[in-house]
Amino acid sequence: MTTKFAISAIDRRQFLSTTAAAALMAGVSMPKIAFGADKVVKIGFLAPLTGAVAAWGKPGLDGCKIWADWVNEAGGIPIGGDTYKVEFVAYDDEYDPGKARTGAVKLIKEDNVQFVMMLGGDPWPGVSPVADKEKMLVSTLLPSDLTPETKMLVAPCEVHPIYNVTGVEWLAENKPDLKTAVIVAQDDSLGKPSVATYLAAFEAAGIKVLGDPIFFDPATTDFAPIMSKMLALKPDIICLDTCYADYVHPLTEQAFQQGFKGQMISCTADFYHKMIEKTSKEFMEGFIFQFPDFDDPALNEPHVNFKKPNEFYAEYVKRFSEGEWSAVSWEYASIMDLWSDAAQKAGTTEPEAVLTAMKAGGKGKQAFGEAVWWGKELFGIDNALVGVWPVVVIEGGKAKIKQFKSIPDWWNKHSALMIKHMEALKQMYYQRS
Amino acid sequence: MTAELFLQTIVNATYAASYMALIAVGLVLIFGVMGVVNFAHGELYMAGAYAVVALYAGLGIPFFVAVVIGLIFVGLLGLIMEYGLFRPLRDNPLGGLIASIGFLLIMQTVAVLGFGVHMEHVPPSTQEKIVFADGVVLTYQRLYVILAAVGLLSALWFFLRKSKFGWALRACAQDREAAALQGMSINHTARLAMFIGAALAGVAGALTAPLVSPTPYMGHPVIITAFIIIIVGGVGSLEGAVLAAVLYGFVNTFVTTIYDGTLANIVGLLLMLIVLIVKPTGLFGAKERA
Repeated sequence: MTTKFAISAIDRRQFLSTTAAAALMAGVSMPKIAFGADKVVKIGFLAPLTGAVAAWGKPGLDGCKIWADWVNEAGGIPIGGDTYKVEFVAYDDEYDPGKARTGAVKLIKEDNVQFVMMLGGDPWPGVSPVADKEKMLVSTLLPSDLTPETKMLVAPCEVHPIYNVTGVEWLAENKPDLKTAVIVAQDDSLGKPSVATYLAAFEAAGIKVLGDPIFFDPATTDFAPIMSKMLALKPDIICLDTCYADYVHPLTEQAFQQGFKGQMISCTADFYHKMIEKTSKEFMEGFIFQFPDFDDPALNEPHVNFKKPNEFYAEYVKRFSEGEWSAVSWEYASIMDLWSDAAQKAGTTEPEAVLTAMKAGGKGKQAFGEAVWWGKELFGIDNALVGVWPVVVIEGGKAKIKQFKSIPDWWNKHSALMIKHMEALKQMYYQRS
Repeated sequence: MTAELFLQTIVNATYAASYMALIAVGLVLIFGVMGVVNFAHGELYMAGAYAVVALYAGLGIPFFVAVVIGLIFVGLLGLIMEYGLFRPLRDNPLGGLIASIGFLLIMQTVAVLGFGVHMEHVPPSTQEKIVFADGVVLTYQRLYVILAAVGLLSALWFFLRKSKFGWALRACAQDREAAALQGMSINHTARLAMFIGAALAGVAGALTAPLVSPTPYMGHPVIITAFIIIIVGGVGSLEGAVLAAVLYGFVNTFVTTIYDGTLANIVGLLLMLIVLIVKPTGLFGAKERA
């Protein structure tokens, strides 16, 4: 009995240990066999999701969700013999460098993301040392973050504010009777380089800027005095620079209320339908900016690299409403296209290898067309992808792309002007602290 | 500065002074009667704006009906604050201040949960405007704020000077214990002060909602300016708050127009520092309390 019992016990132990080992092996091996497509690559989304700058963060995350759903539904991204599903991990930096630093540490060290997308600007100095130490590939929408030291930082979609030259160039070509302008901007790291760009663009176009550019405190809530001051100069053109949506709206409204009848130009016109509601369709007619709605038929031109732009816009409107569409709704998604192509080319998600693949040959597929890695003269490093950019005009209450214009062509003719104005406002990479 | 710009700046400054006076007087009333520094006063202003967002922009209720509902709603919020926060902490000098900071965060979070973090777009109730001269205009939307400030603050002044309830409020502001010994209800006067003070902030928010694009965080810059105004005017002085609001509104608007907004903010702070040095009790001082 005893022997039998002992043998039986050993058998049970053997059975249990064998079963446990088998279960363990099954547990370990099953994902490889049954769920081969379920490897996940995590991408960090570190941008303002709340606060005054949220319009340039949250809509981008929403766009990324569509991008991820489409990629994952198609099976994922084939990288180095495996197929990866994509998961975005978001952290709200509130456009604050301290919070951005905390977010970067969490995303890189806890969430093990392979790539971090940022809006950039004021939060970047908080992230820079972390990204540098961890050799993390980071993207920004604001190439003014670039310096010779930021070797792992790329601006692969939006070369803000340089593309603003295309709007002014188009304006000068199409409305040559407009000869004077005033510029207004919030006094921050986004406003100043943009002012320098507009100053250069107006000078290149032969348009005189009246008075000094008006910089206002970002805490401003009443824009009537600022607009009164601008209108007293009697300009043909009011330039709203790269003001945040929270400022573009009240400034436009004030221009309308105080009786301005001239031309308006701005980097963005997010939620422009609401501006039309607050002013009038007639007042907003001809408003020039730089960010199209993606239902625009011009985006189906063969040089455009963004995948299925009209379908993307329709899906965005279906999920989040037309009123939620902003300048950045498509931008982070377009950066993911570039990252995905580079990771496939590199055969790995390892950040340095992906960066090398991304910049191979010095050219890349920017959302609106073929582009070159550029920026040495302006940023001290060729980490900005620059090509053509659309000029958008509101016509009949709807944003329409009027023309794609080449930024490198403008730069080749007027680079000295740009550098002059950037230096005057201390915005060159060697002047920024 | 041209004559047109000068006149337009006066119009702009009158509007700025009006809405700041509505907010600052409410803050002073609460402080004067209850002795509480209400840091959540900016959020009461925000609540008034969101009442208009929900009722006028959202449900299509007529603008002025939405404003009146907003005024009552924020007044009731004030009553809740008095009953739930300030009354239990009446004997704790810092208790009310800390509680109001907590309430401020709750209000912001509720606004975020209810409406999202983005700015709201409130269409103007009218696009009519008065054109005084070429380049000198006053929109009706801004005129409403000026008229509301003049009307409501005049009514408050008469209420405080001519009615028994007003006398009770002033008596409590001067000496709460002595007022209680005379048979006045401290709880009742506190409720009244809180309702009126909150309602004034609420109506300011409601009327300016189409002019400012409301966000959950819109109360922050407003409360800082309101504190500057009540320090300049004399903490606890209603007349001082009105005068300081006018002074601040004009100085800030003129400096913004002639120079820039950043310098205007510095000048505003300098104004406060100068008053604190020359007359630490503010322009009207403690003797002129409500």
